[in-house]
Amino acid sequence: MSLKDPLPVAKGRLCWFSPNWVLLLLSTLALGAFLGLEIVSVAPNRIVSGTGYPVFSALGWPGTLLGAGLILALIGLSCMADQRHYRGAYRAMLAIVMALLGLMPFALMVAIHRLVDSDLPQARLGIGAGFWVTLFVLLLALVELRTRLALARIWSWSLLIPIGLLWWLCLSLWLEPLALMREYHSRSEQFFTAFRQHLELVGTAVGISLMLGMGLALLMRRYPGGQKAAFAVLNFLQTIPSLALFGLLLAPLAWLAANVPLAASLGISGIGWAPALVALVAYSLLPMVRNTFIALEEVSPAVIDAAHGMGMSTRQVFLQVRLPLALPVMLEGVRITTVQAIGLTTVAALIGAGGFGTFVFQGLGQAAMDMVLLGALPILLMASVADALLGAVSDFLRPGGAK
Amino acid sequence: MSTKSATHNARSPWQLGIPLVWLSLLGLAVTGMAQLEGVFRLFEPDVRSVIYSRVDFSLLLGRHLFVVAIAALVTITVGLAAGIAVTRNKGRDFLPLVSQLASIGQTFPPVAVLALAVPVLGFGTLPIIVALMLYGLLPIVRNTLTGLQEVDAGIKEAAQAMGMTSGQILRQVELPMAAPVILAGIRTSVTINIATAALGATVGASNLGDPIIAGIVNGNTAYVVQGALLIGLLALSVDSTFEQVQRRLKAY
Repeated sequence: MSLKDPLPVAKGRLCWFSPNWVLLLLSTLALGAFLGLEIVSVAPNRIVSGTGYPVFSALGWPGTLLGAGLILALIGLSCMADQRHYRGAYRAMLAIVMALLGLMPFALMVAIHRLVDSDLPQARLGIGAGFWVTLFVLLLALVELRTRLALARIWSWSLLIPIGLLWWLCLSLWLEPLALMREYHSRSEQFFTAFRQHLELVGTAVGISLMLGMGLALLMRRYPGGQKAAFAVLNFLQTIPSLALFGLLLAPLAWLAANVPLAASLGISGIGWAPALVALVAYSLLPMVRNTFIALEEVSPAVIDAAHGMGMSTRQVFLQVRLPLALPVMLEGVRITTVQAIGLTTVAALIGAGGFGTFVFQGLGQAAMDMVLLGALPILLMASVADALLGAVSDFLRPGGAK
Repeated sequence: MSTKSATHNARSPWQLGIPLVWLSLLGLAVTGMAQLEGVFRLFEPDVRSVIYSRVDFSLLLGRHLFVVAIAALVTITVGLAAGIAVTRNKGRDFLPLVSQLASIGQTFPPVAVLALAVPVLGFGTLPIIVALMLYGLLPIVRNTLTGLQEVDAGIKEAAQAMGMTSGQILRQVELPMAAPVILAGIRTSVTINIATAALGATVGASNLGDPIIAGIVNGNTAYVVQGALLIGLLALSVDSTFEQVQRRLKAY
């Protein structure tokens, strides 16, 4: 006898109208932002704040109709998405979203052609709220479509990379009057220096904390008595605000540089990369140690037993069984640490460590928002790319994971 | 830890006293920072003033708390509502998107969010509140989702069989069972935000980050220590309070 029979059963949806509500909402939002908000703004120079233009004056009627038509098609498709040929509908929507993403830089070109006076060498086109919101909503739609179509990670990458290349091509060839590009062109060398500094700091910090973290985790496995104390110290380090930790290291390292000749000759000083690196490593240790320790502990004792039973030595068990099984979780620690370090390195610019944070804080100081964007957007991109790449690697290494 | 010993811990006065100890230390530090001049003199023997005095510490603490509290109120309301909405039958369509967003959003560094908020909202307190809201939302949404999804389907079925409406099941079964996990999310969110709020000082929001920035700019470590000390004590007070509440919840 089943208890379930008399229970009220959740009613199925009415069949005549069963849209995919998520995509319907997202595409309606995109339409609203596209038509209702300011798409671009134009300023005669860097100081003056720009005047905003809605989509009609920026793109003209043909461009507006093309964009609105494509988004309307999305709305229409999302209304019939849950019906029988839903996979086809989702595929069509995916194609439309990709097309829209690909058309966006060309929309900027049209806006530049129509709005920016070519006689003013400093005139610049700012990207407006409507453009950003539409872009954001389209990316969300892409995430949703990816889930619905159950696309593998590699597929979504192969879809995004051509779009990214197209954007890069448009940016470097034809979008010079874009405010972001004007900022970039006036300091392109600094940009690459900042990129290099940022990468170096993050890479070194993650590398050092990976080694230290492995060592600490192994020590903690050998001497379980120290576990609690070690985690207490690491937890304490994480509670110090990042801003303060950078500040607190200034004086001790300056003292070190002044009193220890070796330190000074290594380039250690109160400001610059040295305090930044120390703070980054201090922050990175907790996630690294925690994940390494948990990963090594969580390997099933039965597996270890079986390995011993097969006649493996302790060393073999560790290197050939425990370590490979723990690797995905350890990589998860590396992923968290890397993403966190990319963000923290930005703050390190305040103590003269360079990196993209220089642009952010200089821009904030000069109230030059395009410069802030020039620093903040690469940071977001770096963090997302690092997250996706390391996530893919740890998927790949998981036993029976995506190959 | 067995339930019995957890109950014991929750009731022992020593455990309850920990938040009070941190709170009173925080109060002492705020009111009596000037009395510690001798100690701070050790950090910076040469500078003229070793105690940050541009703004009163209690005012800075108040502003800091205000920003964190507003952000926490909004994030808790929105995060809980979103987590509950997407686990209901009607909102289930949004579940994949929201849970993906919660993990994607975690990769956005707060500084970058803050920097992007300034062009839209201008300088001052507003951008830091928005950045804290975005950053603090994710742990709450994630933990609400985990907590609600981990409630045993059999228990929900039993509640339904007893004639409970879905609202009653949510309030009397699902939420109480998910409460420890949700509370852990709120704790993470608020504790992280207390430290992150200091970044607001770089965009003109006056709070406990002010002495730190002033210290970095003027090369005065004593200022930095004062800001860090107060933020650390505030974080410890709030965190240990949450820990007590969590113990209480577990003891039931």
